[in-house]
Amino acid sequence: MTPGAVRPSALRSMALGAFCLLALAAGNADPARAAEPAHGERIYRAVCIGCHQIGVLGAPKAGDRAAWEARLAKGLAPLVDNALNGFGKMPPRGGNPNLGAADVREAIRFMAGAELVTEATSGGGSAAVSAAVPVAAAGGAPGRSGPGTGPAPSDPQAPAGSGRGAEVVKRVCQGCHQIGVLGAPRIGSQKDWAPRLKKGEDTLVHNAAKGIGNMPPKGGQPELTADDLRAAIAFMVRPPPAPASTAAVGAAAATGAASAASAPAATATAAQPPQGAGVNRFNRLLRPPASRNPPPLRDGIHDPANDGTAVLQPPRQAFEPLPDSASGNHVDWVLALEQGLIQPRWDLADPGRKPLVMDLNIVREVKGSMPNVVYPHKQHLQWLDCSNCHPKIFQPKKGANQISMAEILLGRKCGVCHGKVAFPVSECRRCHSQKKPELAHK
Amino acid sequence: MGPAPTLRRGMLVLSALLLLGGVSAPGWLPRAYAEYGDVVINNYSDGAGMRPVVFPHWFHRIRFRCKVCHADLGFQFQAGGNEINMLRIIDGEFCGACHNGDVAWSVENCTLCHSAKPGTPTQVHESTLQKLIGRGSPASAGSAGAVPASTPGAGTR
Repeated sequence: MTPGAVRPSALRSMALGAFCLLALAAGNADPARAAEPAHGERIYRAVCIGCHQIGVLGAPKAGDRAAWEARLAKGLAPLVDNALNGFGKMPPRGGNPNLGAADVREAIRFMAGAELVTEATSGGGSAAVSAAVPVAAAGGAPGRSGPGTGPAPSDPQAPAGSGRGAEVVKRVCQGCHQIGVLGAPRIGSQKDWAPRLKKGEDTLVHNAAKGIGNMPPKGGQPELTADDLRAAIAFMVRPPPAPASTAAVGAAAATGAASAASAPAATATAAQPPQGAGVNRFNRLLRPPASRNPPPLRDGIHDPANDGTAVLQPPRQAFEPLPDSASGNHVDWVLALEQGLIQPRWDLADPGRKPLVMDLNIVREVKGSMPNVVYPHKQHLQWLDCSNCHPKIFQPKKGANQISMAEILLGRKCGVCHGKVAFPVSECRRCHSQKKPELAHK
Repeated sequence: MGPAPTLRRGMLVLSALLLLGGVSAPGWLPRAYAEYGDVVINNYSDGAGMRPVVFPHWFHRIRFRCKVCHADLGFQFQAGGNEINMLRIIDGEFCGACHNGDVAWSVENCTLCHSAKPGTPTQVHESTLQKLIGRGSPASAGSAGAVPASTPGAGTR
């Protein structure tokens, strides 16, 4: 939940433009279910966290004040509406159809910060804000606002005349088909759909119903009928000409890479002014905390153009419940194991098998002023087998091994693991932990 | 419509400047860093026209102790030091001991493993050795592609 530093400004301005249109739409808020902040946090942890913790595909990050401020500029109601109906790459209700407007609102309140939301809803200043909230309160009908409540522009994401297909796509299919998750043919992409259309429409409908490749049967919604699927496919193959906001979203998707690369320059300065930008940045050579544990899409080694990359779990999501440490993965793995926060198997097939742990400390007296090294067998045998180290890396005999920091830094002896996967050598005191009596002069 | 083309050109110049700024990455911009212990394995991938493999240690150590792979399955403590190929995997060796559709998802999910930027050399990312000797970053993928997979700086020893 570290506040994100960087937001693509281009995306933001497009989102703002879209909000202008959406501000006209009547919200479907349900004031009766207004809940305490804890509720918002619960929803966030159950649903939103997957994307909003680290900002997957440009999602505004939880706690990133700058990102949310921009989105809340038009008030809370349009934002809730977007979250309910899906927006850009966000699936409707974050992919959980059971969420109501109140749930979504509380989650936004949690992610954006309560005072920011109160600010936006009370003193927002824009007419849209003051209008949107009463409308939302008055139109307490469950579900989406019906076609009777306003003229066509009330919903710019569903072009007029598209009907059932558009609705199904928006509710079910676009989660994958908008950006082409795992090779799903993208909405409106002739290139993606042309080879599939050669098989005939009936085959396509049949495949969608039964599931094919990575696609689950009926896109995971068993209540869809064959006619729904047919309409949805027809819509995805040739969506009606898009109005302004959809076009903006499409453009954002197309230029995603470009804006991701270019926008930081503009937003980073706005997002963290106290840090001091440019040549006099505080701790210039230190890695900023926000860049730790990057998601696969931004870690520099995964190919963002690869289908599978977007599916991989972001490390920060996995590390959230685990105790922090100063370096490496920024996870204290030994503590996490001791506290039972992770239960890694000791045996491939048998989850119940436990290691036999030998509790034997080996003390190595070291030259110079550094404290002596205490090597604990116990913590190592929680993870490893004797044969991993003995006799190939270490002779199982006290005093028989020549170990130096130079060797460790070069990835030998302790450095076979420490400095690659186990805590790195910058954690001097975790090994050099026994005071030398003659030097304990403090 | 006088101002429109000027405006458009201005925006073009602006975005080009921003793009250049992003590419040259001044120090205060968050740069991309791999997760500690992520191993890129590129013994055969580039040659076979596949993306290199990224093995995330962190993900696997949440689920298995080191011993399971490094003692029971015979993985050497050396990036690129195991002669892993797809045939051995589908025969149940190495990754295939779990990635068989039974313990973990099976081998037809090619892109979940073969996910690194093409040309990324074999190495343990964020390792001490990588920091000391230098990284074969995907940014220099063009030149790195020409370097043999087991370069001295690859953090493999």
